Amino acid sequence: MVEELDEEVHISVPTDERMTSVVRLATTAVASRTGLNLDQADDLNTALDELFRFSITQESKPASSVFRIHYNIHADCLEVVTEGIGVSFTDEASKVGRYCRFILEKMMDSVTDKPNPAGGLDVHIIKRISQG
Amino acid sequence: MPKRSQKKLAREELLSLFQTYNENKDPKVKEILVGSYMNLVHSLARRFANRGEPLDDLVQVASMGLLKAIDRFDSSRNVQFTTYAVPTIVGELRRYFRDRSSTIRLPRGLRERSHTLNMAIQNFSQEHGRSPNIAEIAAAVGITEEEVIEGLEGAEATNVASLDTTTDDGDLSLLDIIGGEDKTMRLLDERLSLAGAMSSLDSREQNLLYLRFIEGLSQTEIADRLDISQMHVSRLLRRTLKLLRQDLTSKEPYRS
Repeated sequence: MVEELDEEVHISVPTDERMTSVVRLATTAVASRTGLNLDQADDLNTALDELFRFSITQESKPASSVFRIHYNIHADCLEVVTEGIGVSFTDEASKVGRYCRFILEKMMDSVTDKPNPAGGLDVHIIKRISQG
Repeated sequence: MPKRSQKKLAREELLSLFQTYNENKDPKVKEILVGSYMNLVHSLARRFANRGEPLDDLVQVASMGLLKAIDRFDSSRNVQFTTYAVPTIVGELRRYFRDRSSTIRLPRGLRERSHTLNMAIQNFSQEHGRSPNIAEIAAAVGITEEEVIEGLEGAEATNVASLDTTTDDGDLSLLDIIGGEDKTMRLLDERLSLAGAMSSLDSREQNLLYLRFIEGLSQTEIADRLDISQMHVSRLLRRTLKLLRQDLTSKEPYRS
């Protein structure tokens, strides 16, 4: 359970590795607005970095040439949804997919996925604001 | 490269050697002079450590500065050699950083801000026992949150940390501090179920992953344990994950 939604931020970037810094900059800014500390913000950046890079690997077979990120800011957490990454994210036979999931599960408080109607998977992650 | 001087020569002996070298440019005399000032070379090179370049490279650069200083020093002038050599060696080191150390040049103001932020983060973490958020860093430094974000991400773009980078204390590399144990690789391989992938990392990189993902330490806690900054841990971790990902991606066959 997360508290009521306060604000939403949405960005779309081309699935191009050179856009990594744009994702980082936006994520750091949103993390700051949410009140995450540097450790938490860096965890979130690392997790999204892995997801973004995973989405542009051949292995992932991206459903779209655009990587969409939805940041939902709550009072107690930051909820992030990424759209349409490759289904190999949940494929146990995929080392890269397992690796990406491992990093996300270690760094985030919650990681879930569901099929995107347009193809691929939507990955839903939550980073809670820790006190003190 | 000459070793650090084992025997310290008396000032008179050094002056005599310089006079001899000025007269005949004897390579053997030059070698003795170089050996006599290697401590100075190491000391100056260490001042530039922790800027993303391996100490060994910096010592090489500083040694080049020393060779130039010896060649150009005029012993007939009543000036101590070190007075002449220090600016020459430091100049060589600065040129090295200016010309080669960074593929992306940040404006000087942004570089200075990055350094200020790094110090503020360390001070805050020590004082409060936790990592600060952006607003707290902004308040501590007296700049806006946007300027903090710009400074943090700007530093990330230019400063690719190396595990060979030395600590503030001098010669110890992070590789030495983090250490290496075979059990780390086994544990991570078991947890990640990535048999073979971990072998692409050296044992120290594996241990960094171990501290973060198996022991579950935060970046600030790892920074405390290794006596380096949180920003440095962040860069090291990103670099190590990148290596791991690259290895996995290159090995993964494309499946239709």
